[in-house]
Amino acid sequence: MIRSIWLECYKLRRRYVGMTVLLMIGVEMGWAFMASSMSIARNPDQASWEPLIAMTASLNGLFAPILAAICVSRICDMEHKGNTWKLLLSMSVKRERLYAAKYGCVALILLLACLVQVLVMIGFGKVNGFEESVPIMLLGRLLAGTMAAHLAVIALQQWLSMALHNQAFALCLGMLGGFIGMAADLFPSAIRPLFIWSYYSGLSPVAQSYAGNQLEFIARDLGTELPMIGLLLFIGLLIYGAGRWHVSRQEV
Amino acid sequence: MFPLKRVVAAEWLKLRHSHLWIVLLALPIVSVLMGCGNFYMNQGVLQNGWYSLWSQVGLFYGEFFFPTLIAICCAYLCRLEHSGKNWNMMMTAPVPVASIFWAKLLTAGMLTAFVQLVFALLYIIGGTMTGLSIFELPEELFGWLLRGWLAAVTISSFQLALSMRIRSFAVPVGIGLGATFLGLGMYVAKAGLFFPHSLLTIGMGVLSPESLPVQQQLTVVVVNLLYTAAFSAAAIYRLRTADVSA
Repeated sequence: MIRSIWLECYKLRRRYVGMTVLLMIGVEMGWAFMASSMSIARNPDQASWEPLIAMTASLNGLFAPILAAICVSRICDMEHKGNTWKLLLSMSVKRERLYAAKYGCVALILLLACLVQVLVMIGFGKVNGFEESVPIMLLGRLLAGTMAAHLAVIALQQWLSMALHNQAFALCLGMLGGFIGMAADLFPSAIRPLFIWSYYSGLSPVAQSYAGNQLEFIARDLGTELPMIGLLLFIGLLIYGAGRWHVSRQEV
Repeated sequence: MFPLKRVVAAEWLKLRHSHLWIVLLALPIVSVLMGCGNFYMNQGVLQNGWYSLWSQVGLFYGEFFFPTLIAICCAYLCRLEHSGKNWNMMMTAPVPVASIFWAKLLTAGMLTAFVQLVFALLYIIGGTMTGLSIFELPEELFGWLLRGWLAAVTISSFQLALSMRIRSFAVPVGIGLGATFLGLGMYVAKAGLFFPHSLLTIGMGVLSPESLPVQQQLTVVVVNLLYTAAFSAAAIYRLRTADVSA
């Protein structure tokens, strides 16, 4: 399995996937840092980790679905475009394993992107002289929540990108996902969990609320977050299983 | 028949059975649905009638999703050429090289005009359903749509230049998305006239729905034309001088 994932990563050489991911993470974090810097300039007492984490989680709702769609489309479209499916399937590797290898490869890339995001946040906090020490637990929860949402979104995007040659649909879904992810906090709480893109901000370890005219940032209880992560992983597993079953039986 | 007309006909032929219309319709529908929902729920705060509705439905559509939709359309228009040996076939076709680019730009222009029309129609329907009078439609509506479309053609020329150069479908879309956010930054920094993606924000008036002064309207049109000419010239020059990779 590790060799199959390595083969997928090898095929991505000189395809600038890493650069595309870094560019998007750069734009997102640039936005987050600009907004945080402005907020700190207005309210110096908000120079802490919680607002930065909340801002990043809510921006992930917009950027992460599109980033996932682009990465998955890139890794699946090269087989469609190069007409290499038959070549790939002639190897003595099961279709299911090829499907899993592509999934694993994208998940690995996005995990690295999340790690870069966390490291850049730590750098921003240090540069701006945040008084508290680095909140490893909160950052770890942000990483876990984002990755859990990524795993479900990748499963859906991969199903679409592999089943349909036309990548316009997959990217359109990614864009709609970004739209839903960004606006998810405005949805009624009863329908919000139905959208997998809403979990990027929904699993944020820091919640925002208004107390009078003052915006407050409160660390969420880990106990309420864990069942949501479990549910999301289960949904992701279902989508992954359905996609793998469908794509593995398609005629090439 | 004029060569350009023949190439445009070929572009339309290639779009048959692509189901691209689903993508073209999905985004305006979702934008208007969510904008109208938000407007309806917050009518106590949003009291400027059609203008408030425009700010709600137009914000995400004009700011994020329309530019990305243009990027997807342009990537799709070049997708077929990048598969197999189709670039070689295109370049040996008995038509001027420039007409290949112009035909794609014209087709993108027609598709974006269709999206703008659908969006306007849905805006009017949504406004009427939320209780606004159709007789009080903003007089700036036509100007917003037209200037938005002009900016869409400018962005199309930029995206086509990228998509003709880059074989991947997703990378030009990603670059377009990055440019969208850069455009927002340029608009906030009051340098919107110097960046194509900010021209869409200015033209459609999604962040400031008041009408633009005549002089600024003319400036927006001239800058759009200049950008379109520059991107088109660069793309055609590259088509003429660089070898295609099939």
